[in-house]
Amino acid sequence: MLIGLLFLVLSLVLSGCGLLSTRPLLQTPGGPAKAMVDKVPFFAQEELQCGPAALAMALNWSGIDVQPSDLTPEVFTPDLKGSLQSALIGATRRHSRVAYAITGSEALLAEVSAGNPVIVLVNLGLSWYPKWHYAVVIGFDQEREEIILHSGLIANEHLSSRVFMNIWQRGEYWGLLVLPPDRLPARVGEGDWLEAVAGLERADQWQGAEAGYSAALKRWPKSFAAWMGLGNSRYSLHDLAGSAEAFRRATLLQPENGIPFNNLAHVLNIQGKRNEALVAAQRAVDLGGPLIDNFFQTLEEIKNK
Amino acid sequence: MLQIMIKPMSFFLVFSLFLLDFSVQTAKAQMIGTNTVIAAQKQEANRERVTAFLGREDVQQAMVQRGVDAAEAQKRVASLSDSELTKISQAMEKLPAGGDGGLGAVVGAVVFIFLVLLITDLVGLTHVFPFVSHKR
Repeated sequence: MLIGLLFLVLSLVLSGCGLLSTRPLLQTPGGPAKAMVDKVPFFAQEELQCGPAALAMALNWSGIDVQPSDLTPEVFTPDLKGSLQSALIGATRRHSRVAYAITGSEALLAEVSAGNPVIVLVNLGLSWYPKWHYAVVIGFDQEREEIILHSGLIANEHLSSRVFMNIWQRGEYWGLLVLPPDRLPARVGEGDWLEAVAGLERADQWQGAEAGYSAALKRWPKSFAAWMGLGNSRYSLHDLAGSAEAFRRATLLQPENGIPFNNLAHVLNIQGKRNEALVAAQRAVDLGGPLIDNFFQTLEEIKNK
Repeated sequence: MLQIMIKPMSFFLVFSLFLLDFSVQTAKAQMIGTNTVIAAQKQEANRERVTAFLGREDVQQAMVQRGVDAAEAQKRVASLSDSELTKISQAMEKLPAGGDGGLGAVVGAVVFIFLVLLITDLVGLTHVFPFVSHKR
């Protein structure tokens, strides 16, 4: 009877939660065998406060002086007794840092090798008995098959990479970079970076957004969206000349797109260059597209001034 | 009776007029945000990717074999909503990459997405998916 029960429990454990489906830690070809990110301060978490603690470590590394207790009201949801991933992303942006999500161990090792700590979501329990937890990966050692992290009450915890991959798998290999806006991730896609930077706009962090778009333009000088973003953030920072210049660059990259002409018209109008503004606004209307109503309003507004 | 009703009734009507919101949602002259620009670019890329996929010779052949007018399917990409395009595009991303010889999985997805989900809707046999615009 007892043996039967044990067998049942064992089979449940082994079939239900993927304990046996361990995936190896993947290394980027040519990547270093070990790496360690310096200067990631450790904050021991208080009860249920792994979210604020992990975010505080990443933010402090990125140059923002903040305590976990300052972050609790921003990320912690008392009802859930935890912090949502979206809350961590939102709080990152409110502190003018770029939140860039990554997945999988190859990306993880690449970022840590490049000196970027990674917040990871892991499930310390089982899929049907979850114990969610945030930790910060700060290093790895392939020879000893270890991942090094700041987690809970332990700084520099050395965890077997097999165990780490098991608990991280149950967190769907989710990782988050918290970056100064002028620092691109080691592995970065243009679209992903620009989306992450545009998140700063939504948080009204225009200085950070401007830095993020500028960094994008160093890497991708012909990025239309980055020039648009630069124009929009300079506009919000009251740098009208710089804004007009950025929108002009955007019109050169996509001369058939009305959006940069529309925004350029606004800026020129405020600068008092009414005739130039009219030309740009008219051009936007002529080009049309889904936003034509908006372009038309812009033109009318300038005409009626 | 009517006389007695009229006065409170008119008061009621006048009052309820105040509750109505007459502010018409007009397009405002404004700067267009970067989010809009990025979303539009993404959508364009999705549409191009799906169109290019349907334009592939092997995919077209597979459709003809199954009795589907490839040109028609191509045209209908235009009538897909943004969110549907995103879904299809994401499904295509998950397909195995080596496409030339191993058509199986790719066509499998085409069959699933375009033949089952779309085509039956398009010819008006079904109306499972609201994102398909029907011919009247």
